[in-house]
Amino acid sequence: MMPFTRLRALMLAPSSAIFAVLFMMPLGYFFVLSFWRVRAYRLRPDATITQYLAVFRDYSKPMVFTFILAFTIAVVTTLVAFGYSYFCRFKAGRHGTLFVFVAVLTLFGGYLAKIYMWKIILGSSGILNTALIWLGIIDKPITVFLFSPIAVLITLVHYTLPLAILPIYGALRGVEDTPLQAARDLGAHPTRVLFDIVMPQIRLGMISSFSMTFIFCAGDYVTPLLLGGPHTSMIGIFIQSQFGLRVNAPLGAAMSFSVIALCLMLIAVVGLAVIRIFRARP
Amino acid sequence: MRAWRNGLWWSFASLVVAFMLSPIVILMVFAFNRGELLSFPMTGFSFRWFADVFTRPEFVAAFENSLIVSTTVGMTATVVGTMAAMGLARLRVSISAGIMTALTVPLMVPPLMLGVMLLSYYTQWLGLRLGLSTVIISHLVFTQPFVILIVSSRMAAFDFAVVDSARDLGASSLRTFFTITLPIIASSILGAALIAMAMSMDDFLVTFFTIGGGNTLPTYMWGMLRRGVDPSINVVAVLLMLFSISASLIGFRITRYGK
Repeated sequence: MMPFTRLRALMLAPSSAIFAVLFMMPLGYFFVLSFWRVRAYRLRPDATITQYLAVFRDYSKPMVFTFILAFTIAVVTTLVAFGYSYFCRFKAGRHGTLFVFVAVLTLFGGYLAKIYMWKIILGSSGILNTALIWLGIIDKPITVFLFSPIAVLITLVHYTLPLAILPIYGALRGVEDTPLQAARDLGAHPTRVLFDIVMPQIRLGMISSFSMTFIFCAGDYVTPLLLGGPHTSMIGIFIQSQFGLRVNAPLGAAMSFSVIALCLMLIAVVGLAVIRIFRARP
Repeated sequence: MRAWRNGLWWSFASLVVAFMLSPIVILMVFAFNRGELLSFPMTGFSFRWFADVFTRPEFVAAFENSLIVSTTVGMTATVVGTMAAMGLARLRVSISAGIMTALTVPLMVPPLMLGVMLLSYYTQWLGLRLGLSTVIISHLVFTQPFVILIVSSRMAAFDFAVVDSARDLGASSLRTFFTITLPIIASSILGAALIAMAMSMDDFLVTFFTIGGGNTLPTYMWGMLRRGVDPSINVVAVLLMLFSISASLIGFRITRYGK
């Protein structure tokens, strides 16, 4: 082990400067801003919780809706990601790496491009409908796909799935075969092997996949705006509009901090529950 | 019974693969479709939309901006992140893990909020003029953590005996870094640079709020999306996708992440 020398401090300086000046200071300013108010289109320094009260008075409906939808998406994504990673690790044999590669392939490749593609696929004269009509399965286009929470769910599960697969697969790679085999040889039921041996070892990977997905979805605004239609009023749309048309940065800041605080609280609850349920049993 | 269950696993995995890949495959197919309509059946193969988009000055400007931003961000994030990873190497785990966790906190903030937060900070507090430079410094916030994570994980498997020998034989720490350490970890650094570039190229939300006037490819595409159906959107989307997918794939390949 090496001591923390002046050279080390120097090496860490640029990163720390970026972190401090471009992240901590903006975050601090934004937090202070959430206690200000806007009068006659100008920011007035203040120390009021008006904005937070406004968030819970006027925006509780989109807030609740956002959290329910984001939670659903995060649960679906984490479960599918778990199934897929489990398949890659234990069931795919030597093709496992190839299947992981597919997930890595779709990891990047355009946030907007993916949203746009789902719009093209799900639209009433879109690919899914025209293909289904062409094949003679349906004779009228199905209109419920696009401009509904379902479209947002499909698109965001698609976007977050590769992000969620990597931590879970990473955790599953660390699970050794021998104890599993031993448990099976001693007559343990497959579900017991899964819940008592595999899950305790990968619970942190599951939690990190869930948290990433949940935070991303709770803060997204492009997907609900382009695909959600009038009944998918997610909080991101309202946050964005405080910095566009409505010019009320303090309210936007208060909304952002409310979303982040609620996200962290929910993740803490889910995380603790997962850790308790899937603890290693003697 | 066993074969039946195995079949179920394989069909589940195939469905997930189809779900993950279909939008990308369909996009590629339609970008080369001759017709104006984005539906089946197809009307023939053509490059006309590619040719069309490169004659638009706004597209070319956005393309140039994207190249400028992503290469600058990629290089800066790599140098800064590698320096930090070197500074953290061989420290006691309790210290280095703490610093690393702090530096990766920005990844926990949704991009929309990072964008509006930086917008308020630049325009209201600092009074900066928005432009490509504000986009570039903003991208460093979420790209440098990835470089630090990738290079640090390489350093965890690094054999420091070679470095110690060089130092014992009288080489300066700078010389040791450039002649010993760098050649050994070069592939990880290059991979980290490509992944940082891909993330920067792909970013829409932070760019949208910090660019002010001009466009990068994602914000240009956003403008097209808001205006309505235009087959050239496919081309812009395909170009964006190809750039970020190829950069990140090569990046993952050489850092051996998938192995």
